[in-house]
Amino acid sequence: MKRQLILQNKISEIPKLSTFLDGIADELALPQELVFSLNLALEEAVSNVILYAYPDGVTNEIALTAQLSDNNLIFTLTDTGEEFDPTGVPDADITLSAEERQIGGLGILLIRNIMNKVEYQRIGDKNVFTLVKEI
Amino acid sequence: MEVKIIKEGDVNVFAITGRVDTSTASHLEDAVNAYFTVPGAKVIFDCKEMEYISSSGLRVFLSAHKNIAMKGGEFSIRAISPQVKAVFDMTGFSKILNII
Repeated sequence: MKRQLILQNKISEIPKLSTFLDGIADELALPQELVFSLNLALEEAVSNVILYAYPDGVTNEIALTAQLSDNNLIFTLTDTGEEFDPTGVPDADITLSAEERQIGGLGILLIRNIMNKVEYQRIGDKNVFTLVKEI
Repeated sequence: MEVKIIKEGDVNVFAITGRVDTSTASHLEDAVNAYFTVPGAKVIFDCKEMEYISSSGLRVFLSAHKNIAMKGGEFSIRAISPQVKAVFDMTGFSKILNII
């Protein structure tokens, strides 16, 4: 199984992730709970790129591939935006009270909780973020 | 995503339907913002028909909780699905928000 989705860096593209995952879920007969979690992890990764990788007004493409290798579902997210390592972002501190809670760090926390492995590489002018889930 | 605001006595119930994600969270934020300036506002997010939430949605929930509490109001969440509850657990939101 190998599939690819090309997105533009616009938040209106986010719903396409759900359709993309539904296709994978049908092919691999994935349970609905897993599809929900994968959708969440991928949305967090993709929305980071959409919101922060490019200057305002600059339209660009983001590529997301999904590949099954043994029982690992491997997602690779590639963009040509500003160099950014999402794995270097500290998790939000979930022990703080509501008043003390900060806005940042929730996305990477969710990604780390859901996926079994995440890896970032800067290859040439590309950010390559790999997210692996054992199924 | 759709939000309907229903009055239950003096409580404003936000019936949320669909997906609260990066592309829709701002609609929910716009709808609840009006209550941030009302002293003692009572707001419940009814999540019975809410299918999905990502961190963008969680931020709106946290902002509603903080801003409504700051004005002496009450903010609660009800009828969340097990999957959404799992997201609340992962992020510690189960402990800081009032889930009824």
